[in-house]
Amino acid sequence: MLLQVRQLTKSFDDKTILRGVDLDLAEGQLKVIMGPSGCGKSTLLRCLNRLIEPSSGQVIFRGKDVLQPGTDVRALRQQIGFVFQQFALYRHLSALHNVTLALRKLRGMSVREAHAKAMHELGRMNMAEHADQYPAQLSGGQKQRVAIARALAMDPAVLFFDEPTSALDPLMSREVVSVIKQLQLDNVTMLCVTHDPFLAKSIADRVMFLDEGVVRAEGTVAEIFGAHADPRIRDFFAHEHSAA
Amino acid sequence: MSFLQMFSLLASGAGYTVLVTVACIATAVVSGLLVALLGRLRIKPLNRVLAVYTYIFRGIPVLVLLFIVFFGLPGIGLSVPPLVSMMLSLGLIAGAYLAEVFRGALDAVDESEIMAAEAMGMSRSQILFAIEVPQMLRFSVPGMLNEFTTVLKYSPFAYTVGIPDIMKQALALASTTLRGLEIYLAIGLLYFAIYQLMLALMKAVERRFSVPGFKRL
Amino acid sequence: MTGWLSFFQDVFEYWPQILGGLGNTLLLFAIVTVTGLIGGILVFYQALSPNRHVRRITEGYISFFIGTPLIVLLFLMYYGLPQTGIHLSPLAVAVIGFTMNVAAYNARYLMSAYNGIDASELEAARAQGFSTLQVFRLVTLPQTLRLAMPGLTNQVILNLKDSSIVFLIQYTEFFAQMQELAARNFQYFKVYLLTGLVYLLLVSLVVLAARWLERRVLPAACRT
Repeated sequence: MLLQVRQLTKSFDDKTILRGVDLDLAEGQLKVIMGPSGCGKSTLLRCLNRLIEPSSGQVIFRGKDVLQPGTDVRALRQQIGFVFQQFALYRHLSALHNVTLALRKLRGMSVREAHAKAMHELGRMNMAEHADQYPAQLSGGQKQRVAIARALAMDPAVLFFDEPTSALDPLMSREVVSVIKQLQLDNVTMLCVTHDPFLAKSIADRVMFLDEGVVRAEGTVAEIFGAHADPRIRDFFAHEHSAA
Repeated sequence: MSFLQMFSLLASGAGYTVLVTVACIATAVVSGLLVALLGRLRIKPLNRVLAVYTYIFRGIPVLVLLFIVFFGLPGIGLSVPPLVSMMLSLGLIAGAYLAEVFRGALDAVDESEIMAAEAMGMSRSQILFAIEVPQMLRFSVPGMLNEFTTVLKYSPFAYTVGIPDIMKQALALASTTLRGLEIYLAIGLLYFAIYQLMLALMKAVERRFSVPGFKRL
Repeated sequence: MTGWLSFFQDVFEYWPQILGGLGNTLLLFAIVTVTGLIGGILVFYQALSPNRHVRRITEGYISFFIGTPLIVLLFLMYYGLPQTGIHLSPLAVAVIGFTMNVAAYNARYLMSAYNGIDASELEAARAQGFSTLQVFRLVTLPQTLRLAMPGLTNQVILNLKDSSIVFLIQYTEFFAQMQELAARNFQYFKVYLLTGLVYLLLVSLVVLAARWLERRVLPAACRT
């Protein structure tokens, strides 16, 4: 197992967001976490690379509990690519330099090396011809593809997606979906948080349903999307479908 | 006195004016950045000290501070050269104003980009110098231009501490030629020309570092 | 400590002159704050002129006075003009010089505030049949004054601080009297430090008044 999460909890001052979450992610697997907004799925993702400090539990990444004191948090984060809902591209840097920044600063690559690596990753995302453009000049789908290239450039052990299609219109969503599918063929390990059923159905190996800070169900796409025994899950999909 | 002699005197004065202005701008930028970045550390007692510092330096007239530094400090055994006196008065006062400009610009940096950099595993200082400072400086251009203009406009105070700038040359010329009207008119235009030059320079720098579509959110 | 005691004795002896100087400082400050605002509004009105040439000239005026040191203008009038037979008192020179300079700055604050107001409101006022001057007086000006308030109050603080330069044209304001005191007792450091503290105190009072005014004048919706 690449990643094992055990009994993870998180509470802010007076609110409990996560109430003992268990999660396993194998190498090469793509797992989707779904659930209504406010269920804690984005918090869960941020707890795993400690952008948010969990309250208790274990996060075992490559055999080591990364919640132990003394863990090199920055080294941990460098092994986890993170793709945000709002892209979070550095607006003052071109697409190319968005990708090279971490290679230069964190991997210590030379300009030439970083450039070559970045162009390779942008090429994988079909964004090579836009390398010199700035974020403001790109469409939402293009921005998200640059963001994915930026995450991939660090050769991460796993890629986290936080609602990667929520800020995109359906057409651009498809762009991102096809990119994720391609990464799946390349055996990239991925963990994706979304409430977009289209995205989940298109890509997931397994789906985890999170509700009110606990895992309600886990299974294949067919199991979760089919007429599920749990009424809350049925309600969720009925609602999402009518909304879509 | 020939026109050529007058011209060369004013030209050498202009050199000193530019020197004073550049030295004070440099002091202002460095001290302003320092205050803004130290404020970013969010250490309560430190922030209180910085607030008092900026309040004092924004509240005291340039000429009064210049006199404290140049004429006052020797009285307690600290003799400060004229150019340094200008830097410690005009420079630090402009720096206190710039600190506010920089602070506002730092606040305008998009939180989500900072979080993305954290998620990549970048350190606090790497994020500061690769993301926050480059964006902040671009946001600060209008504020900096205002402050640099102010520095140029207060630079004539340098003559009161004996720096042979445009103003000092003009005073000397006016008293020897008794043509004050023409001379002060001429240096007014000279200052305006330097101002226009500075404006053009800043615009060029801004263009050089401009990023398409990049603006305050 | 005895040094400070004798220092304050000196200050006390020279008190009437210092007070007179303070009065002159506040007089100049009060006059130019009012004339600078009126001047700024007039320049601003010219800047909105339908005549392209008037607008061009107004922009030139604003740019020139923002780009040249006030002190040069004061010297020009005080030391230059007499050769043409025009003799102005230091106060007159200071008032004219400050007014021209401050008006340029205030006009610029009003201009950028004007760019922030809703054009459709002006259109609506014109559509109702108000004259140009009425639209300016009843709609444009009240709104721009409100929006420009932070810049305008900042300028008032600058007026107070900048008034300290007029001793250079022989106007015996506060700073001039303090220099006179320093020349008598040779306590330059203490005298100038005290001078700085007094300006700081005066500026603080203006800041408090400005904040109060901003709270009074700015409606909640306009506040940022």
